[in-house]
Amino acid sequence: MSTATISVSNVSKFYGEVLGVNRVTVDIPPGLTGLVGPNGSGKSTFMHLLCGLLRPTQGTISVLGVPPDRPEELFRLVGYCTQYDSFPNGATGLTFLQHTLALHGLDRRTADSRAREILDQVALTEAGGRRIAGYSKGMRQRIKLAQAICHDPRVLVLDEPLNGLDPMGRAEMIDLFKKLARDGRHVVVSSHILHEVDLISDRVIMIHGGSVVAEGEIRAVRGEITAQPLQVLVRCDRPHAVAARAFELPHVVEARIIDDATGVLLRTRDARRFFPELGRIILDTGVEVETMTPADENVHAVYDYLIGATGGGS
Amino acid sequence: MTGGPATGWPLWRRQIAVLARQEVGRSLLGRRVLPILLLALMPLGIALLRALFLPESQRAHPGHTTTEFAQIFHFFLLRFIAFFATALLFVKLFRGEMLERSLHFHLLAPVRREVLAVGKYVGGLISAALAMAATVALTWVLFYVPHGSLGFSYIASGRGLGELAAYVGITVLACAAYGALFLLAGLFVKNPMVPAMLFLGWELLTPFLPGYLKALSIVHYLGSLEPVPVSQGPFALLAQPVPGWLAVLALVAISLGLLALAAWRTRALEITYSVD
Repeated sequence: MSTATISVSNVSKFYGEVLGVNRVTVDIPPGLTGLVGPNGSGKSTFMHLLCGLLRPTQGTISVLGVPPDRPEELFRLVGYCTQYDSFPNGATGLTFLQHTLALHGLDRRTADSRAREILDQVALTEAGGRRIAGYSKGMRQRIKLAQAICHDPRVLVLDEPLNGLDPMGRAEMIDLFKKLARDGRHVVVSSHILHEVDLISDRVIMIHGGSVVAEGEIRAVRGEITAQPLQVLVRCDRPHAVAARAFELPHVVEARIIDDATGVLLRTRDARRFFPELGRIILDTGVEVETMTPADENVHAVYDYLIGATGGGS
Repeated sequence: MTGGPATGWPLWRRQIAVLARQEVGRSLLGRRVLPILLLALMPLGIALLRALFLPESQRAHPGHTTTEFAQIFHFFLLRFIAFFATALLFVKLFRGEMLERSLHFHLLAPVRREVLAVGKYVGGLISAALAMAATVALTWVLFYVPHGSLGFSYIASGRGLGELAAYVGITVLACAAYGALFLLAGLFVKNPMVPAMLFLGWELLTPFLPGYLKALSIVHYLGSLEPVPVSQGPFALLAQPVPGWLAVLALVAISLGLLALAAWRTRALEITYSVD
């Protein structure tokens, strides 16, 4: 088992006769990985399996070399922010974190100072002494996140961590996730807001009906969807000239001038041949190109192509 | 992380202490204490009423009080109050948190599942033992108070204190054994009060069972330790009393055996709140 990746091998989980996840095999390297899928697709089951809250019916899981059935080792490495919105009765933000840190083996004084430090990091310094039961949805989300990161884990598993946060809070949290990922940690984030997943992660795992339908870097996943022509938006000063020449190429199936006439949207079935030939067209016609960007190399498009028709539009 | 976390046994001891402290706080300082208080008030109320309305002729003769308390202790305090108090406290250790949907926080800590079970059990035991031992001791004292100076001198005498210590010890052992049973029940069934009631029925039948079946109950061993023998009624089947040391050993073995089963069960514990 690799000690550098999260390895999930042929894992299935059944709840009686109900399928949770089915024969999932993925390797998750360090960095930010988005877990995408419609409601009920198996995202939370997958995360529970990673963290040992559920046991696989079959298959094996290793988180940096540790199996999830050894919590005493696993949770030195892993922090998990679940979707559950309930907390121990009577706990304040501070006592909740102190208790968590005490279970990590910290003495009372160290646990206290670390808890205050983390409360500060998630902007709950003033609310730390109040009961969590009285917190807003966004504050509860923050305290869950604080509980997940308080022991400085190498792996963070975050189930819909941005739910309930205001736009400012979302931006702060996304920055925090990116920072943690830049530090070499594994950060696995599920979200049903595709725009956010696009902002957060370079890699995605798309899950539907309990099965992984695609995984890897978004661009690579997009490249493998050959049934859907690649879309490229070229913003330039003479889009008509580019459209006319590009449409002569046999693999270009559509060339459409965009509404404000500042660019042309090209669709091609052969990305490898397309880009050199587009370069030649630009040189030949002498147009001035402002930008040239793939228009559907994002989570939203990939999700639409793979799941959108049947996924229930999560 | 800074702060030098402990490892191995020192860590487990610390984790057990943290978990136990939390459970004691929840059980005795939170809402969970209300039903326990209600249960504890019942024998205290009875003792208080007795103290108020005891006929003057009996106040000068505390001799009967020892037998009266022995019967109240066996049939009411032990079989009813301690039984239900431990049931209420111990089934909530896991099942209560499943219903509150907060158990996962414990499962997300770097704590061996066995350590989690032991920590919660110790917390439950301390809470139950404190609450029940205090109830038993206060009830016992209230039984002797109406006898004035005679009663007080018995309370302070070596024999009186020895009797009290025996009752408190039996109560603690009852909390340990019943507690382990209810902890286990809370891990296996959604409504642990059903097996609790079934087991109560079995315990009530114990006096009428042959000796080899009496050995399968908890109250049989607890009864063997009582300082004052209690008549089980005309229909009870007499059996050879269990020697004190063997009764204690049996109760400790039952408690540890049930706790070991509960610890084993927690290893397979999953978080599926929607079906719990």
